[in-house]
Amino acid sequence: MTTILPECDIPIPQRRPHIVCHEPGNIILPMCNIQTVPGDMTERGCTFAGCRGVVGGPVKDVIQLVHGPIGCAYYTWGTRRNLSDVKLHRKYCFSTDLTEESVIYGGAKKLLKSIIEAHELFPEAKAVFVYSTCVVGLIGDDTEAICKQAQEKIGIPVVPFHCEGFRGVSQSLGHHIANRTLFEKVVGTKEPETTTPYDMCIIGEFNIDGDAWIVKPLFERMGVRVLSVFTGNASYADLPPMHRAKLNIVQCQRSSTYIAKMIQDKYNIPYINVSLFGMKQTAEALRDVGKFFHLEENADKVIAEELAKYQKNIDYYRKRLEGKKCFIYQGAPRAWHWIEPMRELGIETILTATTFGHKDDYEKIMSKAKPGHICIDNPNALEIEEYLVKLRPDFFIGGLKEKYLTYKLGIPFINGHSYEEGPYAGFEGFVNFARDIDVAVNSPVWKFINKPLEVS
Amino acid sequence: MARSVTINPPKMCQPMGAILAYMGVHGCVPLVHGSQGCSTYPRYNIARHFRESAEVAVSSLAEDAAVYGGAKNLTEAIKNIKSRLNPVAIGICTTCMSETIGDDVKLIAKKALADDTMKIFPASTPSYVGTHLTGYDNALRTLVETLAVKGEPNNKVNIITGIINPGDIRELKNMLRLMNVQSIFLSDISETLDTPILPGGHKPMLPDGGTKIADIADSANSLGTIAICRTAGSAAVYLKNKFNVPAVLDPAPIGVANTDRFVQNISRLSKAPIPNEIVIERGRLIDSMVDVHHYMFGRKVAIFGDPDLVSAIVRFCAEAGMNPTVAMTATKHKDFAPDIKAVNGEYKADTQILEGTDLYEFHEVVKTHGAELILGNSKGKDIADDEGVPLVRFGFPVYDRVGVYRYSIMGYNGSIYLLDQMTNAILGHKYDPNKLHQ
Repeated sequence: MTTILPECDIPIPQRRPHIVCHEPGNIILPMCNIQTVPGDMTERGCTFAGCRGVVGGPVKDVIQLVHGPIGCAYYTWGTRRNLSDVKLHRKYCFSTDLTEESVIYGGAKKLLKSIIEAHELFPEAKAVFVYSTCVVGLIGDDTEAICKQAQEKIGIPVVPFHCEGFRGVSQSLGHHIANRTLFEKVVGTKEPETTTPYDMCIIGEFNIDGDAWIVKPLFERMGVRVLSVFTGNASYADLPPMHRAKLNIVQCQRSSTYIAKMIQDKYNIPYINVSLFGMKQTAEALRDVGKFFHLEENADKVIAEELAKYQKNIDYYRKRLEGKKCFIYQGAPRAWHWIEPMRELGIETILTATTFGHKDDYEKIMSKAKPGHICIDNPNALEIEEYLVKLRPDFFIGGLKEKYLTYKLGIPFINGHSYEEGPYAGFEGFVNFARDIDVAVNSPVWKFINKPLEVS
Repeated sequence: MARSVTINPPKMCQPMGAILAYMGVHGCVPLVHGSQGCSTYPRYNIARHFRESAEVAVSSLAEDAAVYGGAKNLTEAIKNIKSRLNPVAIGICTTCMSETIGDDVKLIAKKALADDTMKIFPASTPSYVGTHLTGYDNALRTLVETLAVKGEPNNKVNIITGIINPGDIRELKNMLRLMNVQSIFLSDISETLDTPILPGGHKPMLPDGGTKIADIADSANSLGTIAICRTAGSAAVYLKNKFNVPAVLDPAPIGVANTDRFVQNISRLSKAPIPNEIVIERGRLIDSMVDVHHYMFGRKVAIFGDPDLVSAIVRFCAEAGMNPTVAMTATKHKDFAPDIKAVNGEYKADTQILEGTDLYEFHEVVKTHGAELILGNSKGKDIADDEGVPLVRFGFPVYDRVGVYRYSIMGYNGSIYLLDQMTNAILGHKYDPNKLHQ
């Protein structure tokens, strides 16, 4: 048997297949991508969150209009740290702010007016993205027709995303919807002004804390032209010519492989999966791209320059972190992206969990895991707490919602969703990553946790 | 606001407020009956304001619920929470989804529980109605309606806080302690959302603290109810109509006049004299206002946030000799405009009143009327940056400064703290530090 039932799940035995322990020769993957048990304190978000919050949201020069009641727009306003160099992005939150009246009579008129007004106030916007929330799906507004009408009126693209929160089992479907919508409605609608034999798109890179600003120049220094980043710090204009790349590389392979596949199928453009976290994996990505474009020497040169600059920092942190044990809990790919970088720092990952991982994510985790490694699909707060207490890792990488629970238990924490002192990608970013682990783990504050106040 | 599109709203949806109300009840698990985002987003925002883990359960509605209703999910959710955590209570809040598909939450909840060992509070909080403030009010009224029962007089005063910080609640409790008046806080997040790290690193999933169910039941027997947030006053009105518990709906105790009213209300309801300690605290506030009046007189200040807090702060700014140029709230409330007009009359001020609008319009009006200081939550950062003036943060959510939830801006002590924050912001921004040595 390789599945486990933690104590908190004794009344909920249907959680058993979601939690497995790595046993060589008898690999079972956790059950995944199915509905959450109702009543769970799940960490999952909704389809709208995946579509607007993750994939569509980072496009920086469009009006991101949320069609629904106010909450959905408010909660996606400047929360994920997708940085950009455009004022419109992150600073403004647009909503149709639906009220009961719209629920009864429909929200179509309000949506049309809202698009036109937003465009008048922000004429610099290059397009309007319209995201449908739960209530819009239920009342049945014909957002396709309204967006088409609005587009004719304002003369810039108006793109509807059917990402009602109740669809699917997690935010994962929202990623898919965003990919498909952008592929079908935007990619291929315009040719690039020029093309070169070295055009490439970086897909699944959302510029969290500036990741894209670190990784894009690495490829450019090799002589590759990055046609667009999907979608970290992307302009709307970067998206239509994606079909003219010679190669796509996919970093977040859960949220964005969809579009790479669609581009491959329709335009015959190959893609390769990469990981741009850690020295080894980033170097490997550069080499793979170098091989494709016959720029091997350039790739080696960039790698050598970067290692000369940063390897000594990594060696320093490795000395301070060797032998530590960690939990990684991420949306999906970063859970396995970071297992190898941890090894580079001498850290062993003893538990990996994902919010919305699919079978292929868990296959990758298991291929990197060692005997005894625990893997949890869609963990809830109780399960996280139970394993933190039982296994007491030296630190935990998760998201903000788990941060303070972890602190209460006296365990150091790194925010792997939105970072805090990133970027973490690429060679330089890996130094930040290692530094943040050092800060978390070696801070003197933890020694007070188990030191009771005693009368001497 | 003449626009259809809302741009930068300083308001959230009803479930957020309801969750906060339920989090102030001892042993109560908030359960959102809706899509998973409806629990995840509020949790995220609560965690980043309070820097505290905020556990919220969700019934995880999906497509099948849109067709067949959410009864199956809600029933399973209640059973699972009970079997796993055995909480004292579950506070259910509805969402756009569950309201639009028309689930009868009360009936489903009743059927889900075979026995009566656990309380269930079902509040109707669709996001397309009201805001986080009406959500808070609905949940709080549901708590009181479900629990309050007539018994022996308890000689206590009920305090309805609305959405305020743990630091504020602690300050109000301190004032009541000085006045030797016993109280029931409806509800009380001062310990549930500001918990300590204790030796051994233990975190109970249901934190200690919060108002006990028995105390909410006992609220029918109190000397009176003081709602310091009128947006959260409907439970006070219910207690008055049903149990003859006097209700006082008043502005938040910020500044001299409003804190005086709070103290007088307590004293009047409880017949407790005003002790010297309170008089001394009041004297310190006035002393602090004297100390800084020459820095603050005539300073233009623009304020946005929840209506009860904004109107109280506008009055305090006027008391401090400042010039409130704009008072803005996204949530309409009948008392807001009269409050500001009253201040305008008393202090010969000309504060512009903005109601039911967004921060985009607030910014436009600030540009016309001027501001040397902005008061509001973290969402005012960009406006303050654009106008080149400081932002003093209050209200919810504040996530780009630490500790704001820990301190009070209420009572005489809290007002001193708020005034000091404001003055220091002005000093840091307007005055040459070399001239400020004395």
